[in-house]
Amino acid sequence: MNNHAVEINDLSCHFGSFKAVDRISLTVEQGEIFGFLGANGAGKTTAIRMLCGLLIPSGGGGQVAGFDILKQSEEIKKNIGYMSQKFSLYPDLTGRENLNFYGAAYGLDKKQILARTEELSNRLQLAEFIDRPTLSLPVGWRQRLALAASLLHKPKILFLDEPTGGVDPVFRRKFWQILYQLAEEGVTIFVTTHYMDEAAYCQRISVMHRGQIILRGKPYDLIEQHRAANLEELFIDLIRGRENADA
Amino acid sequence: MNKAFMGLVKKEFIQVFRDKLMVWIIFALPIIQLLLLGYVANLEVKDISLDVYDFDQTQLSRDFVRSTEAGKYFTPTTPEHSVLDLDLSFREGSREMALVIPEDFSEKLTTNEPVTVGLIADGTDANSASLGSGYMAQIARKFSQDIYGLERPLKVRNRVLYNPEAESVHYMIPAIVATLLTIVTVLLTSMAIVREKETGTLEQILVTPISKGTFLAGKVIPFAVLGMIELTLALAFGVLWFKVPFVGSALLLLGLSALYLLTTLGIGLFFSTVTSTQQQAMFFAWFFLIFALLTSGFFTPIANMPQWTQYITYLNPMRYFMEITRGIMMKGAGFVDLLPQTISLIIIGVVVFGFSSIRFSKRTG
Repeated sequence: MNNHAVEINDLSCHFGSFKAVDRISLTVEQGEIFGFLGANGAGKTTAIRMLCGLLIPSGGGGQVAGFDILKQSEEIKKNIGYMSQKFSLYPDLTGRENLNFYGAAYGLDKKQILARTEELSNRLQLAEFIDRPTLSLPVGWRQRLALAASLLHKPKILFLDEPTGGVDPVFRRKFWQILYQLAEEGVTIFVTTHYMDEAAYCQRISVMHRGQIILRGKPYDLIEQHRAANLEELFIDLIRGRENADA
Repeated sequence: MNKAFMGLVKKEFIQVFRDKLMVWIIFALPIIQLLLLGYVANLEVKDISLDVYDFDQTQLSRDFVRSTEAGKYFTPTTPEHSVLDLDLSFREGSREMALVIPEDFSEKLTTNEPVTVGLIADGTDANSASLGSGYMAQIARKFSQDIYGLERPLKVRNRVLYNPEAESVHYMIPAIVATLLTIVTVLLTSMAIVREKETGTLEQILVTPISKGTFLAGKVIPFAVLGMIELTLALAFGVLWFKVPFVGSALLLLGLSALYLLTTLGIGLFFSTVTSTQQQAMFFAWFFLIFALLTSGFFTPIANMPQWTQYITYLNPMRYFMEITRGIMMKGAGFVDLLPQTISLIIIGVVVFGFSSIRFSKRTG
């Protein structure tokens, strides 16, 4: 028994001969904001999908929120929130109807849904648009609604797959403020991102490349160790170096 | 009651009724279709099975029976039931018409008296009934002409059972009702599930603790309910507007309709597992609907199809449901009469729905 929020060992996922995720191992502590970085197609989404029980691993194993990812995916689902990179609310329903639905999906009753909606609406400032069809909302507002939907059942761990894609900087800043608050309350946050300024907000990061983790550590330690000007430079140098080595 | 299930059902209904165009498509278009198809054109009919009750049993009466075979419009058969119960073979669906030759047939014909033969038709197939009566009148005229010359008329008296006015609309409405139920359930179900794939909400649902079974039930049952509402609406419209008689038990029809839904929802579910966009799902659904319609006996009686096509119709659940709606509404067929159809639907339904739900569960990881 251990207290890690996430712990995986040699986790792999193969599609035919293509190794989307190739024996990765990592641990995430409770209440930590953990950044998962990598170029498009590096295997981040595949890894997250295995952790959330959406995809069965080809090899390896691990635990999420204390439950085995191979055998207890139903228990895991009760304890995590997931926000995919694709907008995943019903566009023809209002924000409130979406929250009602997802609340019921997590087995909450009407009173609980009402209370949680009220609470999250204040916290994420949803009030002005919660009763409009989500289709008509700007991307930033939709993301906040999607975040609210994934928080309804008070998950212990929140998996966010590129949550701020296509969102303007002001919204992104707000979004991260909310994530910080959640982390302070003990929610573990596992987030993938493309934005290097966001990576710098994370307590620890891992960088994936072609299905493997090629770098891990605290953002500022890494910059120092590699004598890079910033994370972006470090990231680009690293990927370029790998690609030259492969070629 | 399972909260997740209720949440799904509620969401599904909100989605259907939010889309105003969809409401029109589901509830108004079928009524328009009913109006149009209610008056569809005639079709040629051949090989009508004809029970012959020959009470004369003379050379002359046998010659007349043989003459009905000319032109291949009729196939004379030996009755299974006595003349008093001749409608039994209609209810079982083994015969389409009956010819009654009176015992004084040859006596009257040879003494120049007018003779009338009886022709009884199954009016549930209004098209065959009216065409068959026409053919028989021609054959009788030719028979008397060939042998005795013009002025000794042999008359045919028609009697149409179940649908005395031989109204094609009476025959079409039950079939259209069957078609509507199929369209709503196959098309809407497959599209509604695929839409969840397209919008990414399916993935979002799969990370919730909702079980696959609950998800499927919550997804499929709202469309079953819509289908039943549509069925009731179309039936009411048929009975009140077109004055279609409803002889049998409405309860039996509703019960067997629910059974039929198991097959159509299963097919809709299957299409949603092999497609990834609503367009593809729609294409599959239409392909199936056209196949199902053509081999259902809607337009062409199955007995008139080539033998190999007749075998194919046994795989088509709509074929059985067509017989059920027509049988109950027009002939007052009971549960026992419809047992073969009921058993066929149960087999197809369990196989199709079972296979599709297993496939759905595996596909979605």
